[in-house]
Amino acid sequence: MAEAGPPTEAERALRRRLPRRLPRRRSDVYVNMKTDFKAQLSRCQKLLAPGAGGGGGCAELCIHGLGLAINRAINIALQLEATGGGALRLAAHTSTVELADAAEPEGDSDEPQARTRNNSAIHIRVCRAAPH
Amino acid sequence: MENFRKVKTSEEESPLPFSDLPSDVVEMKVKEGSKIRNLMGFAMSKMGLEATRQIVFSGCGRAVTKTVTCVEIMKRKLGGLHQVTKVQYKTLLEVWENKDLQPDGHREHLTVHKNVPSICILLSKDPLDPNQMGYQPPDHPEDLWVDETDTLEERSGSFPKGVKRRLASPPHEEEEEQHAKKPPLQVQDHQEDLGTMAGC
Repeated sequence: MAEAGPPTEAERALRRRLPRRLPRRRSDVYVNMKTDFKAQLSRCQKLLAPGAGGGGGCAELCIHGLGLAINRAINIALQLEATGGGALRLAAHTSTVELADAAEPEGDSDEPQARTRNNSAIHIRVCRAAPH
Repeated sequence: MENFRKVKTSEEESPLPFSDLPSDVVEMKVKEGSKIRNLMGFAMSKMGLEATRQIVFSGCGRAVTKTVTCVEIMKRKLGGLHQVTKVQYKTLLEVWENKDLQPDGHREHLTVHKNVPSICILLSKDPLDPNQMGYQPPDHPEDLWVDETDTLEERSGSFPKGVKRRLASPPHEEEEEQHAKKPPLQVQDHQEDLGTMAGC
């Protein structure tokens, strides 16, 4: 049996890491594609609902979506706007987020190889319209 | 819907959600299958002209991510661009046809109105009204991600470790789009109007 060389690219397990620097206020909502759409929508609605009790009372929300979840973030924001009866305003911003993947060898022999890539993100501020 | 197949999809024409645009503004309509290379080749050559002051990128449904990616690439390459982002629903009109013939030899048609999320992004070399919703000043790298210094410190212990080597400058990726596990088109039931029958 020949001695096994260093692991090839195919033998590495690709680990995707979470993006760095996540502001985590109560009013930050990170939309993903794993959670049920309705659950994420109702969470936002609860946060925006008036009254401090029961988890509501946020003056404004910031809905973040990364990559594929941009679509869902927009959808949630538009649903909030539509159900809010004209009381909500949306301000969307786009940005680029640097993501770090790590290719870890199957054994613990080699150090993980890191690779950075960029992905697009959206941040939608949902705030109450100024009373006229 | 198993017996039906989609025969036509058409977008409802809607004006751009920006005021005071010149009539000859360059509009890039990003589609699901558009190649970023082709889009950016055209858009960059247009923006290279001194006479072109503004450009609009728009896309709906599964093309939204690609649209944002194009804008981000252009901002990075050119710099100093003012941006306004607008999100809205776009109405798609789909015509579905029954595979089985009806007794009288006609095929049954269904017209479906779908609301899909869409995005319109205006990039301008000239300053724009900073008070309008969705305005982003130029060269403002990551405003919403770094201004929370207090939350940063809280999380500083949990930064990803093991990032040791960096490969060459990363391309702006458009992964996952093709390999989506779930149907990514997110249309709620109550958004769909399936009842519009048009018997032809």
